[in-house]
Amino acid sequence: MNKIWFAMVVGSICALFWTSPENVLSCMIDASSGAFKLALEMCAVYAVWLGLLEIVDASGLSGKLAKLLHPLIKKIFKIDDAETEKMIALNMSANMLGLGNASTPMGIAAMRRLDNGSGVASHAIIMLIVLNSTSIQLLPSTIIGLRASAGAANPADIILPTLLSTLCTFILGIFLVMFIGKIREKIRRKNT
Amino acid sequence: MSGYIIPILFIAIFCYAKYKKVPAYDTFVKGAKKSIPLVVDIFPFIATIMIAVALLRASGLTILLANVFSPIFNLLGIPTQLTELVLLRPFTGSGSYALLNDVFLTYGVDSYISRCACTILGCSETIFYVTAVYTSGTKVKKLLYAIPIALICAIVGSVVACLLCRII
Repeated sequence: MNKIWFAMVVGSICALFWTSPENVLSCMIDASSGAFKLALEMCAVYAVWLGLLEIVDASGLSGKLAKLLHPLIKKIFKIDDAETEKMIALNMSANMLGLGNASTPMGIAAMRRLDNGSGVASHAIIMLIVLNSTSIQLLPSTIIGLRASAGAANPADIILPTLLSTLCTFILGIFLVMFIGKIREKIRRKNT
Repeated sequence: MSGYIIPILFIAIFCYAKYKKVPAYDTFVKGAKKSIPLVVDIFPFIATIMIAVALLRASGLTILLANVFSPIFNLLGIPTQLTELVLLRPFTGSGSYALLNDVFLTYGVDSYISRCACTILGCSETIFYVTAVYTSGTKVKKLLYAIPIALICAIVGSVVACLLCRII
């Protein structure tokens, strides 16, 4: 993360140095104020979703959902903690419904519970990041909305290709994380 | 169709909570209260990433990078016109939606290029943004192979998406 960010920023500023040096600062401040507006908006959006999720949790629905997904979560995340499983189950369900904004707070909560303070990502943390980067979308609602407002003949005609390609990345993601995890474990065993 | 999902979800959850005798108002307030510390925690991360993306786009380096990557992407079956979209997608949601709009205007909504672009956006995520936000409250500094795997999946997803749009 540090290297990528450094390369992006320094490279861009160097390029701007030749073309429009006076725009560097204003560009950065514009971006930052854009981020602030986005954060304010997200605060409002999260308030709605977190409010609803608190009700889901208090009514015992999230526990039921976690029980339903328990075999899958236990297998791919290799954890055994009911509370964390609940968060992951909610995170994954919201992702599948295309509710990215609802899934984020749950994902963060799960991540904080998975953090062991060592500074190095564990298998479960890596899995959570990869699954949230590739997750299955049953309904890409934002894109369908954009297509509809742009006047597409059939705005929903991308559902099937999206579902199939996201299924591919979902399975590939799980497979790669499991595979590399196993290789690392083998190396560690050899060394000890 | 998609318009009905949210209301159904809300009604179902509220009714179930009522049946379980959960105090709806108090519980909702308790949950909503958590949104402020959450956003305070993640704002610096969003700002830092958005600054880098804005600089990258303003400097024109994205077009340069797109020119470098487009032959490789072409080989994989991703149209040249979409290289910039595939490159920017891991960093910015709003930026890639702006690019999608350009694609709509240039090639028409129902063209192959536009449908490809939609499928690519639908099956991928803003990887760097997601990673930064998700790890914001933790001590995790070393992510090991998380980002490379996510990026590989995104590229494979884009290739599959372009292929599927040609068939379906």
